[in-house]
Amino acid sequence: MAGLISRGFLGRRRPAEVENRLPPGQYLVTDWPVLSAGPTPHTPLDKWSFTMDGLVRKPVTWSWDDFQKLPTQTYTVDISCVTKWTKLDMTWLGVSVDTLLEAVQVEPTGKYVMAYSDGGYTTNVPLDEMTKGQAFVAYQFGDKPLEPVHGGPARLVVPHLYFWKSAKWIRGLRFMEENEPGFWEQLGYHIHGDPWKEERYSGD
Amino acid sequence: MAQPVLEWQAGTVTEIRPETRQTKSFTLALPKWMAHRAGMHYDVRLTAPDGYQTERSYSVASAPERVGLVELTVERIEAGEVSPYLHDVLVTGDQLEVRGPIGGYFVWEVARGGPLLLIGGGSGVVPLMAMLRHRAAQHATLPARILYSTRTPDDVIYRQELDALAAGDRGFEAFFTFTRQAPPGWTGYRRRIDAAMLGEVIKPFGTQARIYVCGPTLLVEAVATALVQMGLPIEQIRTERFGPTGV
Amino acid sequence: MNMDDADMNTALMVDGNAVAGQLMDVFGRDMTMAVARCAGCAREAEMGALMAFTHSPGVVLRCPACQAAIARIVETPSAIYIEARGATFLRLPR
Repeated sequence: MAGLISRGFLGRRRPAEVENRLPPGQYLVTDWPVLSAGPTPHTPLDKWSFTMDGLVRKPVTWSWDDFQKLPTQTYTVDISCVTKWTKLDMTWLGVSVDTLLEAVQVEPTGKYVMAYSDGGYTTNVPLDEMTKGQAFVAYQFGDKPLEPVHGGPARLVVPHLYFWKSAKWIRGLRFMEENEPGFWEQLGYHIHGDPWKEERYSGD
Repeated sequence: MAQPVLEWQAGTVTEIRPETRQTKSFTLALPKWMAHRAGMHYDVRLTAPDGYQTERSYSVASAPERVGLVELTVERIEAGEVSPYLHDVLVTGDQLEVRGPIGGYFVWEVARGGPLLLIGGGSGVVPLMAMLRHRAAQHATLPARILYSTRTPDDVIYRQELDALAAGDRGFEAFFTFTRQAPPGWTGYRRRIDAAMLGEVIKPFGTQARIYVCGPTLLVEAVATALVQMGLPIEQIRTERFGPTGV
Repeated sequence: MNMDDADMNTALMVDGNAVAGQLMDVFGRDMTMAVARCAGCAREAEMGALMAFTHSPGVVLRCPACQAAIARIVETPSAIYIEARGATFLRLPR
């Protein structure tokens, strides 16, 4: 989509000192842009729950209090959004998906995961890309509870994929046989979403 | 209904006029100008040498009676991508890629009648000003009022023109409210627009008013909700939300 | 929308007017005056009056009454995707 070149317009910058940490096509931000597909849900903590269901021997659900008792880790990761911003060194506190998987027996056919959230958002990730420390459910950012605008009380974080896969306001993981597309994957976004391979859109 | 020009065209900047500390009006001569209706906007697109593009929408401030050109009044947003370029880099003689006019929902023309109530916050006044300029150009006598909210008196765009319009036209009145600091000796409103204020300003118009609300989303939401709760028919209220700029 | 829940997400929300250009790319005409009937709650609203979430990988247009997603638009370099299952119909004035 060519356009008239605007005299003196330089677009976004990629500072040389972090060049090798920015995936292709991304630019660096130091604030944290608020992006959302809908209004902020406000599920009260006494109504909140997190469920693992679908192709599991027996579904399991945690209340907020129970979830808080699970072992946590601190993660410092770089995050890339498909809208082209990258924020470096974001620190989170959360529960590893490996820990959550200890509570269920996933059927052998359950190779893919659909994360689902308040407000109806969904996104799909292969199970083997959520294990071995690759994904966690975060409820603190820095040393503060995760703000609702950024996905609080809890959100999924899958740092090695574009941030649309890190479902805000997460309420559960559903194990499935096929790699079914979620909310954005249904509408032109890449089924996998690796920023280093610039997998933004289906067909990339 | 005429179809707008859908393609991008290169407009030429013929005039840049500061309005307030943070806003400037840019006049563009358009080779494929087409009469807009007051309230509509143009999309502006910038392209960097490496092909990177970004777009924003800006409401037309000028009346359609000014043939061949559009005037866009733009607030400079510090963290923005396009407005700092327009304010800091663009000069007269430059070209600017635009597309429009767009947006037939949020429009008013004299033929729609009145009485007309315009409610704006910050740069939300821009499309409302186009409506008032169009009304003046048509020498319309239907009653009109504007209720305009800004932080301080220095932030009022078009202040002199609004005062002059009010002085010269018995059918038009302007009401200002300041949310942070009012002028010395000010006896008018000095708070965020609320139901009581709306009730006073709309009183002579009653439920007949055709109402246009434009500005930051939170202001538009609050005003529209209050108007509906006051019993105004929702079909008579049109809104345009600008997003998060403060007022 | 409950203004007590107002936050940056709400402040960033705009309306269908803000995506009029994009809708024009898809439909070839001004769609802000097209009336959408919400498949969720049956409320009818002009597209210019729909809530629009634009700070997002795509645009989501929602019903101002029940907030259900009425339409979604994604622009990729090679295509425009649009999904409007949340609308029972779109009525375009002649």
